[in-house]
Order: sequence, then C-alpha cells, then structure tokens
Amino acid sequence: MSIERFLDNSISSWMAGEGKHSDIVMSTRIRLARNLNGYRFPLAFTEDEAHKIDQSVSSTLLDASDELQMQFSSIHIKDVSELSRQVLVEKHLISPKLANSPMTGSVLLSNDESVSVMVNEEDHIRIQCLFPGLQIQEAYAQADMLDRVLDKELPYAFDEQFGYLTSCPTNTGTGLRASVMMHLPALTMTKQMNRIVTIISRLGMVVRGIYGEGSEALGNVYQVSNQTTLGKSEEDILADLQSITEQIIQKEREARDALLKHSANTLEDRLYRSLGTLSFARIMATDEAARCLSDVRLGIDIGLIEDVDVTILNECMVFMQPGFLQKYAGTSLNTSERDMFRAKLLRERLQKEEKQKTKGEESE
Amino acid sequence: MICENCKQRPAKVTVTQVHNGEHFERHYCEVCANSLHPFYVEYKQDPLSLHQLLSNWFGQTEQQPMQQKQPKNMIVCDECGWSIQHFLDEGKFGCANCYNSFRKQLPNVFKRLHNGNTTHIGKAPGALGEKIAIKKRIEAIRSQMKDAIDTESFEEAAKLRDEARDLESQLSTGGDQTDVN
Repeated sequence: MSIERFLDNSISSWMAGEGKHSDIVMSTRIRLARNLNGYRFPLAFTEDEAHKIDQSVSSTLLDASDELQMQFSSIHIKDVSELSRQVLVEKHLISPKLANSPMTGSVLLSNDESVSVMVNEEDHIRIQCLFPGLQIQEAYAQADMLDRVLDKELPYAFDEQFGYLTSCPTNTGTGLRASVMMHLPALTMTKQMNRIVTIISRLGMVVRGIYGEGSEALGNVYQVSNQTTLGKSEEDILADLQSITEQIIQKEREARDALLKHSANTLEDRLYRSLGTLSFARIMATDEAARCLSDVRLGIDIGLIEDVDVTILNECMVFMQPGFLQKYAGTSLNTSERDMFRAKLLRERLQKEEKQKTKGEESE
Repeated sequence: MICENCKQRPAKVTVTQVHNGEHFERHYCEVCANSLHPFYVEYKQDPLSLHQLLSNWFGQTEQQPMQQKQPKNMIVCDECGWSIQHFLDEGKFGCANCYNSFRKQLPNVFKRLHNGNTTHIGKAPGALGEKIAIKKRIEAIRSQMKDAIDTESFEEAAKLRDEARDLESQLSTGGDQTDVN
C-alpha cells in the first residue's frame, strides 16, 4: 500500500476521542525495545548488518499478517523525502532518530496506524502500539502479541541477569515503556503541575511534554511514563502506571470542578476568547495555537462550549505542526508564512464547523 | 542607558532575539527582563544528558587511585570493540555482548538508573523463558529441601531431591518435550 495515505491524512485512529477517560487521557502508548543476537546495535553496526536486520524483521512481520490479522505497510525510510519523514514524525508514527538515521531502516505500519514497528532505530526492533483513551492493558496485549510472533522466528538478545538487552541502559530489562498522554489544563491553571511532577518522579515515573524528552508541555498535554524497566515485571509496571494515571485523572477532575465553582465566568470568558482567536486570528504561532486548542478542548469537556467536535481539535493539534503545514501548502514555508498559513487552516477548519452548526439550526 | 520597556530604571540586561535571521538587541532593567523573558536559561548541552550522568556516577564510585581506574576503564568488548569508557561517554552499548564484557561494572550503573534494581524480573523469550521458569522451580525446591533437612524430615528431602533431579534432566535435554503438569 502506498505511503501517501499515511501522509495525506492527519487523522489517526487514536484521535477518535474514544476509550476510557478520553476527556482527559488522549492516548495510551506501549513500546517494546528488542534486539537480535549476532548483530551489533544500530550505533555500532555496518550498513550490511542494517540491511540484513531490516530484511529479516520486515519479512517476518509481513509473513505473520494472517496470524496477527493485521495488514502492514512497509516503508523504507531512505525512499521517503525529508518532508514526508517530518510528517511521519509529527504523527508519532516514527521517531526523529529513525527519520534522521543514515543507515537502512524502515517502519511497518498497520492500516489504522495503531501499530508501528520501527526497524533499526536506536534498537533493532521497536514495537509501538497506540490506543485512544486510557487502555494500558489492551495496548500491552497488542504489543505482547507482536512480540511473541517475532520471538518465534528471530533470535532475541537476552540475558538471564539483565533481561532484554537494549542499546540504552535505561531500557534494559523489560524494554517496556508504557505511557499515557494526558490533557491537564485545570491542574496547570491552578498551578499544581509542578508538585505533581515532583511526586510522580519519586515513584519511578516520568512526566514529559507532548513531543517527548525535553519538550515543554505544549497545550497542557503531558506524557506520563514508567522510568524503571529493570527489576520490575511487566505487570507491575503497567499496574503502577494505571494507578498513578487514575489518581491524576481524579485530581484533574477536582481542579476542573473547583474552577467551575469558583470562577465560572472568568473561565468561560477565557475559553471563549480562545475559540474566538482560533476562529478569527490571522497570525498564529505554534504555542499560541496549542494554548487556544487546549482551552477550547477544556470548554467542550466541561460543557461550556458546545458543537465543536473533539476529533477536529485532535486533528488541528497534528496538522498545525510545521511539517504538516508545508505538506498541505505544497511548498516550504518560513516561520512567519507558516504562522499565517496555520491561522488560515485553523480558521477554515473551525468555520466549517460553525457553518454546519448554523445550517443545522436553521433547518430545525 | 534606560530600560526600553519601563523607560524608568537603568538597563542592565541585554536580550538578543533572532527573528527571520535578523538579530535584534533589546536592553531592559532586571525587573522588566524577568517579566518579559522569565524562562531564560543558558546551557550548552542537553540539560540532562544521560552520558554525563553516567560518567559522573561512575566517576564517583571510581575515584580511587589512578592505577585502579585505568585498567577498569580499559575493558574492551571483543565483539564491537567498544571500551567501557566509550560506553560511558555515549551512554549507550555497542552490542549485546557489551553486557557480558562489562557485567561486573554494570550493576553499579543500573542501580542508579532503575531505582536500585540490578536483575531482570519478568518476561523472557520463548525456549529460554521456559528454561528460566524451570531453573527458578529448581531453586525453590532446593531451598525447601534444605528446610526439610534442617527439620530432619529426610523422606521429604529425598522426594524433593528426586523432583529437582527430574527438572534438571529436563533442562539438559532441552525443555521442549517437557510435560508440564
């Protein structure tokens, strides 16, 4: 299947706004890192090794599509233009590391984009499963199934003392990273996030911004994931993440209730101003767009703003990124051109929504 | 010079902004600079790069005399050619065999990365997964056997010994034909 369908469409299955607690937890991701015996890790291997690994992993997975009941598209990173790679990164389907790798590597994508297997990223194999809402067990079951299929055919690098051997010592052991992406505007507004981040990090978990390590929490979206991978079983890692996530959800709901109770008018004003900005602004930088989208999303969640579809907000969050904008524009854009084009797209997207709404009202 | 923002206090901070490739210099007093650019942090590298942490940790435990430090850091993995120093500098392993080559030094690193843990618990791949399960069972039986001997219940101990032997023979014939009851 052609790569175009993955590039043209800014909607992935995780954006549907489904799943448990989907008003707060946007998505759940499970990642397993695996390596093969007999080849050096990608940091040290030769192009010849890279090629062999790519072939054997890709063919194993493509052959298993019946067993997995899943169709995969195999995309060789080297065959793809730089802009297209950036779009794949912005959709979280590949990592920046794989996009920039000089060696042979590929990504195998399931048609609904919920599964992506990266070959020759930092490790030989990275299995990733992305589910909407809070579905830690479901996403792990999926990843585990893929892992077992690959395990049957390929010699995994494993050590009785250290577990699954990975390129980075922070992944050694289970090679499992479980993460949930959460929208926490009320905790941010009430300035509780710093305290929560400190507590979470004491429990062997990490909080990051939406775009991974080191990134800021753009649009109040935070990613919570396990840090410990060694000396803790898969079940315990998942159970701990589940319980911490549920507690954060609880705190966020409390904060939302408190905001509504004590400053409903100020809140409503702020959220509608953001909707206004999104609908009418002519220049829109990424951080402002992210902040406004966050406000509108909160407005929908607490019932202050009606008739805007969450799916559209999810989609906006993805296509407002530089790579996507340029893909849509069909040309490269500098920063200020991008800010204008972003404002235009957001405006159009939300006004389309508005028109449909007014039409609906007229016909009633 | 007076602050460009409040036009009252003397300017003490210079902020250089790059916009569309052009540099702009702004001069502010400390108060205005703080409110306009509250997140100004200067760092040359990643604020928290892993290899820096690894080297520091390792450095702490290895700050003994030089003679001791030298040979330790000279350990080289015979498969990828990376030395342990190379591993510490990169913060990454070169190949799976590095784990074997640096086995003695690694618990020190893992302890700090994984909350004090140094040994894997959890899933293991296919046949090895079964083997590990059998080994764990043998260990459990052995410790039960010791208890039995301590309490002088020798019949019980003999039974456990036979059980452990059975499991051991399964290990040596390869766990495939094992009939797990």
